[in-house]
Parts: sequence; C-alpha cells; structure tokens
Amino acid sequence: MNQSFYGLLLFAGLLVPPVARLMESIMIVHMHMQMPLLVISGFLMAHAFQTRFPRFFDKWNEGGLPGILLFSIITVYWMIPRTMDEAITMQSMELFKFVSLPFLAGIPLRDSWKRLGNMGRNVTIGVFTVLFFAAGFIYLNSNEQLCNSYLLIEQITLGWGFLLTAVAMTIYLLYITFVDREAYEGPAS
Amino acid sequence: MRKIGRTTWASILVVVLGLVLFAVGTDGFRAYTAEAARIVKLNDENPDFPKITMQDNEGRTFTLSELSGKYVLMTFIYTSCGTVCPQIEMNMSEVYNRLPQGAIGQDIVFLSISFDTDRDTPEVLEAYRQYFVQDTDNWRLARVPERGELNKLLNAFGVIVIPGSNGDFAHNGAFYLIDRKGRLAEIMNYTKVDQAVAKIERRLAGDKGA
Repeated sequence: MNQSFYGLLLFAGLLVPPVARLMESIMIVHMHMQMPLLVISGFLMAHAFQTRFPRFFDKWNEGGLPGILLFSIITVYWMIPRTMDEAITMQSMELFKFVSLPFLAGIPLRDSWKRLGNMGRNVTIGVFTVLFFAAGFIYLNSNEQLCNSYLLIEQITLGWGFLLTAVAMTIYLLYITFVDREAYEGPAS
Repeated sequence: MRKIGRTTWASILVVVLGLVLFAVGTDGFRAYTAEAARIVKLNDENPDFPKITMQDNEGRTFTLSELSGKYVLMTFIYTSCGTVCPQIEMNMSEVYNRLPQGAIGQDIVFLSISFDTDRDTPEVLEAYRQYFVQDTDNWRLARVPERGELNKLLNAFGVIVIPGSNGDFAHNGAFYLIDRKGRLAEIMNYTKVDQAVAKIERRLAGDKGA
C-alpha cells in the first residue's frame, strides 16, 4: 500500500504544471526522464490495482503477453517524433500522455513482468535493445529537424541517449548470458 | 484450452487497438513527424492567405490581393539565417529559372516573407535580394510590420519559429504555392526543385486548358 502511495505522489509531482513544463523544455528529459518516470509511477501504483482487481489480471493477463504487448505499444507510440510535439502543442495529447504511460504502460509492465519468466523478460529487453539502437541511429543521422518544438542539437543529444541506453541493455544481456549469477548472488529466489 | 484462448484474444485485441492508435496518431501511417502532419493537414484544408499588409524591399506596402489572379510561390525566411534560408532562396531561384519565362509575372509571382520584422528592414531585404533575385518586379522580399498580422500569417500556415540563442531562429522550411484566389494550393518540399517545377507547370497547363 505504501508503495502505491509513493507512486501516486510521484505521479502528482510530475503533473504539477511548472514541473511538467520544465521537463518538456528539454527533449531528452522529456523522453528519457519524464516519460519513464510516468511509467515508474504506474509501476508503483500497480500494487493497489492488483490487490483490488486480482481476478481481472489473472484472467486477462495470465501469461503476461497481453500486458507486455500493451506496454510496448504505448512506449513505442511515445517515441514517434510527432507525438512528442503534439504532447506539447495539444492539450488532449498531453492528457493522453499522462494517462497512458502510467496506467496503460506502467501497470501492465508490473503485472506482466512477474508472469513472463526469464525467457519472456530477456526477449522483451532484447527487442527494446534493438529498437533503441534503431531509434538512436535515426535520431543521430536525420539531418532534418524531426520535431518542430526541438532544435537539431537536442535531437542529436536524444539519439546519444538512446544509444547509451541500448549499450547498457546489451551489457546486461551479455552479463546474464555469460555469467553464472548463482555463483555471485546465491540461488535465485 | 479455454484459458489459452482468452489471453490470445486479449493479445490480439491489444495489437488491434495498438494499430488503431498508430493509424490515428500518424494520419493513416502518413505522418510520423509534426511537420509531415502539418503538411498533410494544410494540403487537405487549403486555408486562405490572411488579409494582412506587407512591406517589400523597396519600402512599398501592399496586400496579397494586389497580386491576385496569379499564383504566388512563397517562402518564409529571415536574412541573418546562415543555414536553411539561403538554400531555400537558392532553390526558389532555381524554380524561377526553370519555369517558362512567359509565365513569370503573367501567371506566377514570387514572394519571400521575413518573420524577423525588427532586423529585416526594407534596406536589409534589398541587400539580401541582390544575392538571389534579379527580377525585382516579379519577386518581392517582404516583412509584415504589424506583429499581430505576422502571427496571423504564421498561424494560418502552421509555421513554427523558435528563437534561438544568438538571434537565430529555427523554423520549418517549405515552398508555399498560393492559388489565383489567394488560397493555399499546396505545400512543397523546398529541396525537391524538379518536383516543384513539375507541379507548378501542371497547374498552369491545367488552367490554360480550362
């Protein structure tokens, strides 16, 4: 319960207009900080929903696949340059961002993650790694300004952000592939 | 068996809804950037050129209606710009050179509008003109002295101008073709001169035939 409260607090904090405006004024903060924080706020709040509607999640998200698909679709949607622009220029899109990322990405991620098992988790991370490499190269190599609200230099910064995140995920995937974790961490619980 | 069916259905539903979301969000997979969306929208809606007063490189004030009855090929620029604007103007003069000379002045005129009202005085515009334009009769460089009117124009055509740090502006560049009635006929990619020339010629030929 405590956890959900902190999630709600985080969500409320991100909603405060000056906070939102500040974060949205820098492209990489908008995409790689505000949006993930919104997902995390949903991830934390998920607990309250899971205890209240356990049957719904058990019934419709049994193997975790529907949830992780929903999470992926919502997050990929917000990586399109146009949606970032529209979140700034259109109120309805801004509202949709603040609803969809916590409740349609954060909550399903939390519920699916424990159901997926190792294989499903690694495939998910692998897919996002490939996607982040691709997005990084697109943002770095596009000489056109993709967003009307952000300058080219910010776009390149964002591209590097994508690449670095992808590198980090690659290292993680290599680590779990080649290192016997039980030797360091003890048997997985 | 029924359990497998249920989550499979849930997955299919999620994917279908996702496709709908992407289709709606990108105008049917046509526009992935706000710039592309702007062009799709403007080409669908053909807004009117607003009633505003402009001042050109020779200090003359004029309105678009003085040019009406002709097509107007228009761009938005500012003269202190070192990046996109010279390229836009170069390409527009390329279009000028490739169109049949008989059409220029008769069927089509050229207009470059500066949104840097404070710095781009008629004298500055006149100096800038000499780099790109020889034909002073049929190609005007202009500013919109009244700020409210300038914003009206920029809004009508969805031009977004971001002031940068060193007196620079970032802005979306394009060719805007205004038809004989003063409505936006088409937005064209300013980097594709061949395409722009072909499109304008087709319109001029279409008018002759009618």
